[in-house]
Amino acid sequence: MPSSSPLPPKENALFKRILKCYEQKQYKNGLKFSKQILSNPKFAEHGETLSMKGLILNCLGKKEEAMELVKRGLRNDLRSHVCWHVFGLIQRAERKYDEAIKAYRNALKWDKENLQILRDLSLLQIQMRDLEGYKDTRYELLHLRPAQRASWIGYAMAFHLLKDYDTALNVLEEFRKTQQVKSYDYEHSEFLLYMNQVMREAGMHEEALNHLIQYQQQICDQVCLQETKADLLLKLGKPDEARQIFEHLLERNPENWAYYEGLEQSTNPQTEAERLAIYTAYMGKYPRAAAPKRLPLKFVTGESFDRMLDEYLRKMFRKGVPPAFTSLRGMYKDPAKVAAIERMALSYRECLDSIGRFSKEDPTDVEREPPTVLLWTLYFLAQHYDHLGNLDKAFEFINRAIEHTPTLIELFIAKGKIYKHARDSKKAVECLDEAQSLDTADRYVNYKCAKYMLRANMVKQGEEMCSKFTREGVPAVENLNEMQCMWFQTECALSYQRQGMYGESLKKCLEVDRHFTEIIEDQFDFHSYCMRKMTLRAYLNLLRLEDVLRNHRFYFKCAKIAIEVYIRLHDKPLADSDAADDIDTANLTPKELKKLRSKQRRAQKKAQQQKEEEERNKAHEKQGKNKHDPDLDGPKEEELVPEKLARIEDPLEQAIYFLKPLQTLAGDVIGTHLMAFEIYYRKDKLLLMLQSIKRARAVDSSNPKLHECIVKFCKKVNERIEQQPEAVRTVLEQEVKLLLGDKDIAQYNKFFTDSNLSSHPHRISGALGMYFLDPSKKDEAISLATHLGNTLTDRTIQNGIRVLELLQSDLKCESMASEYKARCHELFPYATAFQPPTMNHTMENNDDDAEEEDEKTTPTQTMPRPYPTTSPRHQMISSSPATQRGITEV
Amino acid sequence: MNIRCAKPEDLINMQHCNLLCLPENYQMKYYFYHGLSWPQLSYVAEDDDGKIVGYVLAKMEEDPDEVPHGHITSLAVKRSHRRLGLAQKLMNQASLAMTECFNAKYVSLHVRKSNRAALHLYQNTLKFTTNDIEPKYYADGEDAYAMKRDLTTFGNKKNSVEDVGKVLEKMTVEVSGEQEDTAEGASGDGTPSPPSGVAERLLQGMEKQKEGEKKSSQQGKGGKDEGGSGGGVGKGSGEHPPKTGRESKKSRKKAREAAARAEEKS
Repeated sequence: MPSSSPLPPKENALFKRILKCYEQKQYKNGLKFSKQILSNPKFAEHGETLSMKGLILNCLGKKEEAMELVKRGLRNDLRSHVCWHVFGLIQRAERKYDEAIKAYRNALKWDKENLQILRDLSLLQIQMRDLEGYKDTRYELLHLRPAQRASWIGYAMAFHLLKDYDTALNVLEEFRKTQQVKSYDYEHSEFLLYMNQVMREAGMHEEALNHLIQYQQQICDQVCLQETKADLLLKLGKPDEARQIFEHLLERNPENWAYYEGLEQSTNPQTEAERLAIYTAYMGKYPRAAAPKRLPLKFVTGESFDRMLDEYLRKMFRKGVPPAFTSLRGMYKDPAKVAAIERMALSYRECLDSIGRFSKEDPTDVEREPPTVLLWTLYFLAQHYDHLGNLDKAFEFINRAIEHTPTLIELFIAKGKIYKHARDSKKAVECLDEAQSLDTADRYVNYKCAKYMLRANMVKQGEEMCSKFTREGVPAVENLNEMQCMWFQTECALSYQRQGMYGESLKKCLEVDRHFTEIIEDQFDFHSYCMRKMTLRAYLNLLRLEDVLRNHRFYFKCAKIAIEVYIRLHDKPLADSDAADDIDTANLTPKELKKLRSKQRRAQKKAQQQKEEEERNKAHEKQGKNKHDPDLDGPKEEELVPEKLARIEDPLEQAIYFLKPLQTLAGDVIGTHLMAFEIYYRKDKLLLMLQSIKRARAVDSSNPKLHECIVKFCKKVNERIEQQPEAVRTVLEQEVKLLLGDKDIAQYNKFFTDSNLSSHPHRISGALGMYFLDPSKKDEAISLATHLGNTLTDRTIQNGIRVLELLQSDLKCESMASEYKARCHELFPYATAFQPPTMNHTMENNDDDAEEEDEKTTPTQTMPRPYPTTSPRHQMISSSPATQRGITEV
Repeated sequence: MNIRCAKPEDLINMQHCNLLCLPENYQMKYYFYHGLSWPQLSYVAEDDDGKIVGYVLAKMEEDPDEVPHGHITSLAVKRSHRRLGLAQKLMNQASLAMTECFNAKYVSLHVRKSNRAALHLYQNTLKFTTNDIEPKYYADGEDAYAMKRDLTTFGNKKNSVEDVGKVLEKMTVEVSGEQEDTAEGASGDGTPSPPSGVAERLLQGMEKQKEGEKKSSQQGKGGKDEGGSGGGVGKGSGEHPPKTGRESKKSRKKAREAAARAEEKS
């Protein structure tokens, strides 16, 4: 160990004891020994001792003092690997991994073959995905410890990650040769399957198949073995052998849809009848399996569909299976099937009502159906009509069902959902509250109720509802945060956003963002753990998952809220002192004033709670002092204070922080680029605006919100073009021309409007473009936007609300607003947003995102897609996400 | 619903499903711990859109002194998807994997005494037997039944796959149509002093596991433990099994005590 200032034997012995104390976590003794060295004036500035003292203090939670000492130690002995290593450890504890890597590298300069440092370095490199560096370090480790299993695996994996499959496989094969396999050896089995995965990723199908066949006796994981074999056989054009394996797999698990797909692929049925025959065989073989009965409903048509559906529904209703409707929702893309389902369910209802049988043709010598069959039929019909947006019918059937059986929880949940779709969030809450009161031990109903409360902006009540299932003695909000309960935090953020409590909303968004950071951090310990456990495939999938983690819909939702809020705060910054200051109380109607006051009261209450919470936290810290674990402690997270968050200096930069992951990971979602545009528009970044528009066009060129962006962009280019450098000007001129064709902006806007007159959201966007380009055309714009003809597509409540809001704000036209509201009320009688003032004592909750409808949307659909024409419901109720209240406010 | 083995990318959605359905919740790292230690054991049920509507989170108890056996950490089916028989199908798949991959002889679980629906599922449908009552097992002070299901009769490797299929089909019992018993049941490992309790038991498990590994490396499985032999200062986290969740650091001492208690008992 070269050090510029070696200690004499006595002190050196003490120093070694410090190291030992540190390793054994005897921190007090460690400090004692370090004091003994440092108190000698000759060694008062001994670098390595100072560093070790700092490291120990860090473990005791004295972070600042620790850092100070570690830095001083390092300054005093820049040639000591100990000092550099300690510096690296401290940086790592602060999660400054890049800095830590540099420090370890410096440490290795002075002690090239230090295993511990090499190992620590390799972990950081893989965590940071410094794959080249990782490869080099793993090489050193293999070189130094060729007898260790992990040395080989780690080295091979480095090549695998770098897509150098040949080298990876060579290393793995060399390693395999050294292994003595026991009769049962799970770890070896995992190793073989990992090796096989590398082969497949290298495209070596033939070799991979042979490899599996050769070693199948040593492989425990039968599912993976068989699935992989079948997949390879298909790829290699051996469908008959593949089919046999899929048949075996189905015997294990007749509910796995992929196996049926595999069967179809390997038998390649030519007709619907042949296809159906595959499933019929399994219906006979496994009468209790659901998949063979359910899957063919997707592809059979005409009479066979009717026949199978009849069988399916009767069974569901007799058995009383609540998810009968849910399980068929996938069929609703096909209008013919929707019609068949409706016809059948209605005829059941009629016959059950009159003769107690499903059909008049049913044999009369058997017993009548029990009354619950009618109940489940009514429940089904209510959900059916709700899905289609026929709310009157939906209410009719759900009310009949409740009359029939007033204690069934599912009915109240369904009724609440209908109210939700009808946009009466308060009535929706009432139904869900009823539902949860019928079974307070079921968390799922509790969650639904809490969610509906949050949708109705009843945050306090929502929290209280949740608290029935959170740990006692801790505020529910705290416990839910600790448990990374993202749905709750996202719903809160949305609710706060609606209520204009921007700081609170941002706090929730940042909490969700921190969960994602934490989950990425979580992988750290698995780098070495999985090498020992040999679960290499799962580990590799984990690495790949973490690389795209923020692709998750939970992140998209919270990022969207955060970006919208930051943009709002940029457009209208809050005053310094009080949130309410920027509202002119003198100009408020009594109703608004009342609302404001209650909001203030809430804020006060909140502040009070926060104070309490802080005190509790303090107490917590006191308790927690002895349980300090230095290895785990990340840097202390900054406390999120809503008041500060809402007054952040650079809201647009903060918005970009949330935007970046979306741009990398969610580029296929148009919302990403529309949000990007709005940020760069405010930053006057013409080229970045252009980039956003081009990317959005690649996703969906007919999106109405995109049109708004194009209009704003072209106008801005016209205004700013003179100030641009030559090269930029050329690009912009070219691109604008590409966007507009040979028209000017106004002509382009008119052209857009004229070609989309039958679409509600397009009319709105066109109207906004018109008004934006020429405010004198306000009246024309208003008449364009407020049209509500019966032939309009996407004539949704959401779009109606958007127009109403525009009439009350940007387009400022109160008289038109009340007239428009009345017209909307006729169309959407349940929606509270359109109810005349006398009736309108319910909560206002207009901004409910249709995308939040978690039962309906798939993860990839959480954001805008092209106009849905398939689901009839969308035409009435839920707006296409593309038409939702976005961030564009012209 | 599609029933398949869980992948790492499912784990975050399983956590979500768990938070909707059960009072016993865990941080993501605990799910990772399961998914990366026993990747074959956890299963999910997903709908047409790929949403997780039910899951079973399972593990092996790795006590070298006992016969190998599995444990159900958590099982839940969304209320909106009950009475489709998902819970038992998930359980059967997990149990089969336990026997095939880890030679499990039985599978154990805990269930709240008051959870009648779940109890019904385990006892009547899945043939679990109650072998113990753990007083105040859950955070709210409720007792748990400790239950076991023998797995020696199915998934025996000597059986052909067809036999396994038959056994599974035989074990798949139609959920009876009683109006009252609509829930399919769900269980979650309790949290004696949650949320730290979860970590405690986890750490207990990992302490044991560490010991197990020590033993095996003494038996001459050279170089199995990557850490520990290097010089220089500082211990890399490489030597430790992953610590799961923030709770663990708060309660390490407690966990060690609990582990000590557990050892005394055994």
